[in-house]
Amino acid sequence: MVKLSSMLTPRPSLVVGVRVETSNVRTYYVKLPEDVNLPKPGQFDLLYIHGVGEVPISVSDIYYDKRIVAHTVRFVGSVTKTFAYIREGDIIGFRGPYGNGWPLYLCEGKDLVIIAGGIGLPPLRPVIREVARNRAKYNKLIIVYGARNPKELIYRYEYVDYESIPNTELYLTVDAPDETWRGNVGVVTALLPKINLRPDNSIAFICGPEIMMKYAVKELLNMGFKGNQIFLSLERRMRCGVGLCGHCQMGPYFICKHGPVFPFWFIDRYFWVDQI
Amino acid sequence: MSVTGLYLGRPEDLSKLFSGLLHLGYEVIGYKVVDNVLRLVNVRNFSELAKDIEDLQAPGKYRIQRGDFFRHGPDSPKKFLYPSELKLFTVMGDWSIRYPEVDEVKLAFFGIKPCDLASIKVMDRVQGVIGDEYFKLLRSNLVLIVENCTRPASTCFCATMGTGPRAKNGFDLSYTRIGDKLVVEAGSELGVKLLNLMDVVPIDNVTYREFEDVMCKAYMAARADFTTDNLPEVLELGINSSVFTDVASRCLGCANCNLVCPTCFCFDVVDVPRLDGSADRVRVWDGCLNYTYAMVAGGHFRPDIWARYRHFVLHKFAYWIKQFGVFGCVGCGRCITWCPVGIDLRETVSRIFKEVKSGG
Repeated sequence: MVKLSSMLTPRPSLVVGVRVETSNVRTYYVKLPEDVNLPKPGQFDLLYIHGVGEVPISVSDIYYDKRIVAHTVRFVGSVTKTFAYIREGDIIGFRGPYGNGWPLYLCEGKDLVIIAGGIGLPPLRPVIREVARNRAKYNKLIIVYGARNPKELIYRYEYVDYESIPNTELYLTVDAPDETWRGNVGVVTALLPKINLRPDNSIAFICGPEIMMKYAVKELLNMGFKGNQIFLSLERRMRCGVGLCGHCQMGPYFICKHGPVFPFWFIDRYFWVDQI
Repeated sequence: MSVTGLYLGRPEDLSKLFSGLLHLGYEVIGYKVVDNVLRLVNVRNFSELAKDIEDLQAPGKYRIQRGDFFRHGPDSPKKFLYPSELKLFTVMGDWSIRYPEVDEVKLAFFGIKPCDLASIKVMDRVQGVIGDEYFKLLRSNLVLIVENCTRPASTCFCATMGTGPRAKNGFDLSYTRIGDKLVVEAGSELGVKLLNLMDVVPIDNVTYREFEDVMCKAYMAARADFTTDNLPEVLELGINSSVFTDVASRCLGCANCNLVCPTCFCFDVVDVPRLDGSADRVRVWDGCLNYTYAMVAGGHFRPDIWARYRHFVLHKFAYWIKQFGVFGCVGCGRCITWCPVGIDLRETVSRIFKEVKSGG
């Protein structure tokens, strides 16, 4: 008899905190097992709910000393909806981290433009944290974030903190304002031309719905950004995280292992192809 | 690679080879007719193996009739090496993990064709170093007895893909039936051992010429209307071709092509919860033609059937090269035969080839 093992094995991990973000988004703080590597900003983990299933969730915050990693989950599918029942003190399965993160080393001495839409902000939050922590390394930080309506803006409680980072601009926009909204109205990409960006000395990180990323890339290219100054975090149905299950293919790329963060020039050939 | 050169024996010697394998402790997997279809099954007696039959294959058509040479059915070695359902582990109620224990079986494929041998080599590349444990376990003890294909079916195009009709390397023993003669060659140390169990003599000139003749004819018969020169590049240039939408207008999205494909490897992992509080994590085949394949809870990356069909075609002939350095298609023609509406992969590729070359 031979005992098989599997690289898809989840590790039991303690949920040490849950934070309600919006009506259907919550952040789960997970204490990582000792022998697991801490993720880099932009990487993702596979979280498993016992008896239900496994989902890829990007890392939305990293507490390096306490080995706690935050995962912000929106309740949309059968597994993520079950997350609504997970409380502090519960155990969930963890494996990761997977994929390549944001290339922060390329941004040193440059303006960093963060463009996020909807649930696309969480994978970029560790980048904002990193800039705040090592402020001198980077030039201006510009955060452009949009959501469908004001209630769906994630992390509203910490926007003040973002704005208090020196040399930082925060632009918010919503598609459908309510009576409380005093800010910009419209899609994120409509906001871009109104911001003073310096294409010659900037790096842009983008994450959001695919359609939003397409328009954002077009806009940046129009402004004079080059393909090696734009980075995108793509989303697909990632089942295994190691390039074996095939689900996350975009053209020849396995988004889980070749991405999820790609330099734009690397994928531009497939990026515009409909339903690739 | 042949390590012995060609030897001559008689088809009856195959039974000695068969019992030799059983004697060495191998479970022999061979073709047997079940419900009028050739299936790959565990065979205990040589007499169980299919004989005196022929499989008629055409787009969307499969029949068994009396004859003297058969190719294959819907099953490929993938059925055993990479089963459609495999329990990966059980997560117990207390979060301890129980891995399945499997018997250390030694499998021998008996009489598979060169296309299926090639498919195992493709799987080797796909699973690579980190891949599936179960596959690697079976693969490490695998014996491959290959029958060279003297009469390819109308759906076959192994010659185009460079995988047949004669097995070139990677086998333990290959044999070719020519009338009442059997041409055999060994491709490994074990193959030499097995060859010694048979009553063979070095091949004579007349038989050799006959053998070459048969193989050449088979080669001519197993060609598609395109070549693999620059095939990945040409297909990618045709990525927006209307051929995909046109062909896919007939596609039912049933994913039969994925299931019968000997190299399709995509899988999903599903939870099977049990009353005792444990849950099995079970790996199941998935296919890119399935509607849910590229679906996420918040949207769908390939909602249209033509996009899923395009992914299938481009993956086999273009992306696979970039990912694994080989074509994902071995030219066995199963996806053509088992397509309920008879969509012919060769035709799709040829049409795009012509379209791109004519600058259309």
